[in-house]
Amino acid sequence: MLKDNLIKALAPLNLEKVAEGDYAKTGYHLEVAALPAQLPDVAQAMLAAGCFLESFTAVDLNEAFDLVYHFASFDELCRTAVHLPLGKKKGMPTISHIYPGADWYEREVFDLFGIHFFNHPNLKRLLLPEDADFHPLLKDFGASQGND
Amino acid sequence: MIELLGIEEKTYTLNLGPQHPSTHGVLRVLLEMDGEFIIKAEPVIGYGHRGHEHMAENRNYTQFLPNLARVDYLHALAYNQCYCMAVEKLLDLKVPERAEYIRVITCELNRLTSHLLWFGAYLMDLGAFTPFLYCFDDREHLLDLLDGLTGSRLTYCFFRFGGVPVDIDADFVAGCRAFVSRLRSRWDDYHNLVTKNVIFIHRTRDVGIITRDQCIKYGITGPNLRGSGIPYDIRKSEPYSAYPEFDFEIPIGSNGDIYDRYIVRLAEMEQSLRIIEQACNKLPDGPIMAEKVPKRIKPPVGEVYQAVETARGEFGMYIVSQGDVKPYRIKLRTPSFANMSIFPEMAQDNLVADLVANLGSIDVVIPEIDR
Repeated sequence: MLKDNLIKALAPLNLEKVAEGDYAKTGYHLEVAALPAQLPDVAQAMLAAGCFLESFTAVDLNEAFDLVYHFASFDELCRTAVHLPLGKKKGMPTISHIYPGADWYEREVFDLFGIHFFNHPNLKRLLLPEDADFHPLLKDFGASQGND
Repeated sequence: MIELLGIEEKTYTLNLGPQHPSTHGVLRVLLEMDGEFIIKAEPVIGYGHRGHEHMAENRNYTQFLPNLARVDYLHALAYNQCYCMAVEKLLDLKVPERAEYIRVITCELNRLTSHLLWFGAYLMDLGAFTPFLYCFDDREHLLDLLDGLTGSRLTYCFFRFGGVPVDIDADFVAGCRAFVSRLRSRWDDYHNLVTKNVIFIHRTRDVGIITRDQCIKYGITGPNLRGSGIPYDIRKSEPYSAYPEFDFEIPIGSNGDIYDRYIVRLAEMEQSLRIIEQACNKLPDGPIMAEKVPKRIKPPVGEVYQAVETARGEFGMYIVSQGDVKPYRIKLRTPSFANMSIFPEMAQDNLVADLVANLGSIDVVIPEIDR
């Protein structure tokens, strides 16, 4: 079972939480909580288990960010959600060297939330114009703000 | 500087788009070229960014429903369904069986319109005009069917939290049956026109190969993934709605080239016909709306990730609820976004003539990438 293999593979990383999820309620088989610095190791373990990066995004919780990585597998139904708390004005390690597909997701989060990713090969705005000076998915950004 | 040193510049930059017929929307690709070969391709996206995720945070759950059809305008109903299912999960609503059947039938009809449009538009990209006329003729019948039921031809917003608002009648079912036999009678034409066409085969065989390893690293889904021989289809891998009740197959390719992706899409259309046929035959009676749908949609605190299989691959919706009438955060994981991110790697070291063939073969919908 992929789920058990993942629990085994993540055990040596000393993560804050590795627990079975409530699939019927959340759609997760495995819920993981970790610190930002541990992310590259988690991603490496996921890739070794044959999982792909399904989605990556951030949630602005006002006093901090919650970063959410979703991993799934083509071979077996097993979705893993990795939550990472990140303080405002802090940066994240990139995983674009592990999952090249993360390149665009990280650029998007940089674009919409202003979160910096260390060692990203090409960290520039993805969806908004190059000269935009705002990050629209921050909670203090109003619906009609921004340069027109 | 280069000229001053007397060194001849060997490469040049070529700009493709954002207004270009074969980019199917507003996509720009910056190409660094060495003669006819592409050294580097860099997609520039975001021209169609409307901020749907931001809009979601500024309106209540019901008000956000019509937005989804504008994200992927070619398979709007699957997006509709994904959102409804995610919210139903948050609210713990059970959808009646008949409503699930109606959702499946309309979703599959919508998938057919999407694949038919791809078929025609892609062959136009390659320079073949006739197939476009054939498939648009067929597609028109589908649009009429869906128009009669949902009231729109493209940006459908037909599902509601808890079910569907309008029941289907005997005419609609008869229309579906008639369409199934009509499209089946056309397969021979399609294959004779295109699949066996030697020019088409030469332009697509062994071009734009996507490997299994690349699929994992980039999160490729949909027919692009199945063309590479991986039988991953959310309708089977993570069954939802009424799909487990139908007998259908997941067509896969072997090489991962453009030709395989083409074959997969064509075979998938036949599987959609099979699903529609079975659903019409087994259509259960009963209500079309759940009994206790709250008037005010206010899900409890929590989060949910819901995935569905759209015509282009996995669409995922991540909703965070903080117990308010508005969603706290909605993330749209769109298949074209991930599928497009592999494009620089696909285009690299290839001829510029294959660029359009490659780009069309991954079937991107630009508003879906930009959101």
